[in-house]
Amino acid sequence: MSTLTQAADSAPFFVRGRLVEGSAEIHRSRDLGVDFASPALDLDALVHPRTELPPLLGVPLAEIIDFLAEAGQKLASSGNPHVEAAIEHMAKVSLQPRKAVEFMVRNAAEYLDKRTLWEVVEQNFPNPKALDEWVPHTDHQGRRSFIRAFPPRLIHVLPGNAPAQGIRSIAQSALVKSVSLFKMASADPFSTVAFLRTMAEVDPDHPVVRSMSAVYWRGGQENVERVLYRPQYFDKLVAWGGGDAINNVMKYVGPGFQLVSFDPKTSISMVGKEAFASDEAMAEAATLNAGDVAMANQEACVCSRFTFLEATPEQADRYCKILADQIRIDRMGEGAPRPLEMDLKEQIETLRMMDDDYAVFGALDGRGVVIRSEEPVDFHPLRKTSNVVCVPSLESAYKYVNVATQTVGVYPFDRMPELRDHLASGGAQRIVRLGEAGPSAIGNPHDAMYPLHRFVHWMANEDGREDEN
Amino acid sequence: MGQNADRLLSYAGKSEGYALPYNDIREIQIAAMNERLQEQGNRIKLVNLRAQDAGTTEIRSLEDAVPLLLPHTAYKSYPESFVTEKKWDRLTKWLGTVSSHPTDNIDLSEVTDMDGWVEACLKAGHYVACSSGTTGKSAVLVASKADIDFTTKDGVDAVTWGSAMRRGDLRTPAGAGGAVAYTPKNAAMGRALMEAFCDLSALPQNSGAPLVTIGSITQMIALRRAIADGTAKPAEIAEYEAETEARQSALDAMGQKAVDDIISKRDQKLYITGMWGALYPLAKAVRDRGYSGKDFHPENGIYLGGGLKRAQLPDDYREFVYETFNLDPRNIYQMYGMQELGTSMPRCQKGQRYHVPPWVVAIPLNKLGDELASGIGQGEIVARAAFFDLSMDARWGGVISGDRIEIDFSPCECGSGSPSIRDNVVRYADIEGDDKIGCAGTVDAYVRGLS
Repeated sequence: MSTLTQAADSAPFFVRGRLVEGSAEIHRSRDLGVDFASPALDLDALVHPRTELPPLLGVPLAEIIDFLAEAGQKLASSGNPHVEAAIEHMAKVSLQPRKAVEFMVRNAAEYLDKRTLWEVVEQNFPNPKALDEWVPHTDHQGRRSFIRAFPPRLIHVLPGNAPAQGIRSIAQSALVKSVSLFKMASADPFSTVAFLRTMAEVDPDHPVVRSMSAVYWRGGQENVERVLYRPQYFDKLVAWGGGDAINNVMKYVGPGFQLVSFDPKTSISMVGKEAFASDEAMAEAATLNAGDVAMANQEACVCSRFTFLEATPEQADRYCKILADQIRIDRMGEGAPRPLEMDLKEQIETLRMMDDDYAVFGALDGRGVVIRSEEPVDFHPLRKTSNVVCVPSLESAYKYVNVATQTVGVYPFDRMPELRDHLASGGAQRIVRLGEAGPSAIGNPHDAMYPLHRFVHWMANEDGREDEN
Repeated sequence: MGQNADRLLSYAGKSEGYALPYNDIREIQIAAMNERLQEQGNRIKLVNLRAQDAGTTEIRSLEDAVPLLLPHTAYKSYPESFVTEKKWDRLTKWLGTVSSHPTDNIDLSEVTDMDGWVEACLKAGHYVACSSGTTGKSAVLVASKADIDFTTKDGVDAVTWGSAMRRGDLRTPAGAGGAVAYTPKNAAMGRALMEAFCDLSALPQNSGAPLVTIGSITQMIALRRAIADGTAKPAEIAEYEAETEARQSALDAMGQKAVDDIISKRDQKLYITGMWGALYPLAKAVRDRGYSGKDFHPENGIYLGGGLKRAQLPDDYREFVYETFNLDPRNIYQMYGMQELGTSMPRCQKGQRYHVPPWVVAIPLNKLGDELASGIGQGEIVARAAFFDLSMDARWGGVISGDRIEIDFSPCECGSGSPSIRDNVVRYADIEGDDKIGCAGTVDAYVRGLS
């Protein structure tokens, strides 16, 4: 056991402002099977009693934003030892190449920008003042109220595929002044604690820092979740993902303990016949398309997995060739990629043999592959795999848009207005210019909601009528 | 087949086969796999593609065989729409990519559903078996008459090696019932075992139990697809739920009948079959009715194949079943096998380990299934189970399973020299759990029920 402990990377916890180190437990990361060591969980320490007011309640939003911005600069400065160490550790457990991890972590620090944070708040709340004070309101019948966006108690179940989410979640939690417990993923039990440690160095007793805890337990571990997931301890559970991860959580949701879920999503592209107006147009569309497919090694929900293309199979094959070449460019310095998972490889190989209906471009080496077909493949395209589906018209692809569809990248851009109502009706949540799935406008809705607005505990203090005393 | 393969296959039906130490036959096994590659490699498109990709023209070592092993998922690699949209010609063409016999002799003119397709394949000499995956696609496995004959004979022989049950025992069949997917292979195997060990005049009438055909499974898959696409109407879902409920009540009634049936036959020498998930409730119901070991025949026998299949049972479920039916260990037969292989691996009496016969090459792999496990040939190792079954005629014998096994290459306690597998096989999928969480996912997470 001791040799195992030495071999395992240390993943300390952060509990209400204090670092907790230890190696009482050895865990194995889910995706790559790398061991990491963590301290024993002290469940009592993770709960902020309801008899005590949230530490951030009386701290003005402006001060919180100043603190976050200062911490952001410290995070972004090169040579920050916690961030460097976290990137080092994460490169071992993440499915993404080191450079991608590094990019995402550094990019996350940019979110901690004063103007950005203000914009996030202003987009989420019609009147951000409600975060700082009891805002008066009188209805048309003369009833007086005071409304407050009261700080909630949140549990965040963080995703393992987006290291930047930890920092965004910390910032969002601080903006709504919540008491937050972050349950880290086995694919990234490091970055959230590294961010919080950096913040603690700015001011170890700052209420932001004292409001946050980040720990790891294995998702679904009953002896932790049955105990903690209770309305007496937390108001809302903020979860990313689907399948077993969400199914585990669902059984605890009930009166007083709500789920704010960022559901598992598939993003797609829609490319019109205009892409075949000239060779240049085709190259442009395919290159933009490749950017949406290959970003973050196609691990994120915004990554395009299916492209619906207004084309004949012959046209599509020319397009697919460029798309495959572009996807296969190693922009992240990954070097030799991991081999493709067996069952994915098997299914694509099969399609290669069904050559009347399918064509396959690129190779099954993990660098990228494109499959041209008449209807979507029935597996989930992963590892830089794009399925180009020939359709007679983009309208005829509406039927492939469903409640799991997140971002739709469109080419040419001026076709977005004609598509968007149908896409929304089908379940999609975001429509962008092809090639722009990655960057997103500050403070926009995510998964069809304004998340910060959902987080807070909306509280009303009704105070009689105007004509009374 | 080639002379090396023939030599190894000549041990079929003889107990000496299980005595052969791995190291003594390793070279012959490798030569035999190479013979199979030369005979079948060009005929099975998927294997041919694999061989080309790996640059393999010959198998000269165990390593050479690894890239040519097909994962169990290869048999469910056909696009689902071939089934849901009734593209029988495409499905048939797909079958041809994993079959060593051409599939262009199948007459599809009368085919209107999946059961009809299985029927049409059978008429053309292709015995198609379909596994009932709990969610998603079924594995579709093709076999020939020769495969079925080999499998059924080997299946009976393995029982006599692994237990004291003998041909001509004239036992009375009894069992837990339960819904078992009907496939030509399962049916042939069941018939062969009955003929060998049972008194055919004691065969029960058709129980009237709902037959789970591959067609009914694919119907569920199609509905699942329709729900995900958002095209399923509420009435369709309601109808399906009603059917499911009706099927469940029929199964419950059958389970009740099985209890009465086995109690009424308690003085006869029984041949008991069933899966653990159904056997345990049967035993429990028998106990609840006040019967136990002392009431049952002391020479009762049982045929056990397959693990728990996710059934949640008390720790002592085996002992409980054995004691209830007065089962003497000598008459308890348990085998390890898989739909993808044609051969049974019987469990020995003394060591309680599954033995690998000489015509099945054990090729234990690392967890990922892309390299040989280390330590092959000496002592016990933990590995992903993979085998090359030299007996296979209609499809490729090389298969990678989803099972984690502990396989020992040194002689077993029972005295047999063949490699043996500890009786604690688990599926990797069942032990891994799933705490993966991320924002990327599919619409499958949005479909409730139908699993």
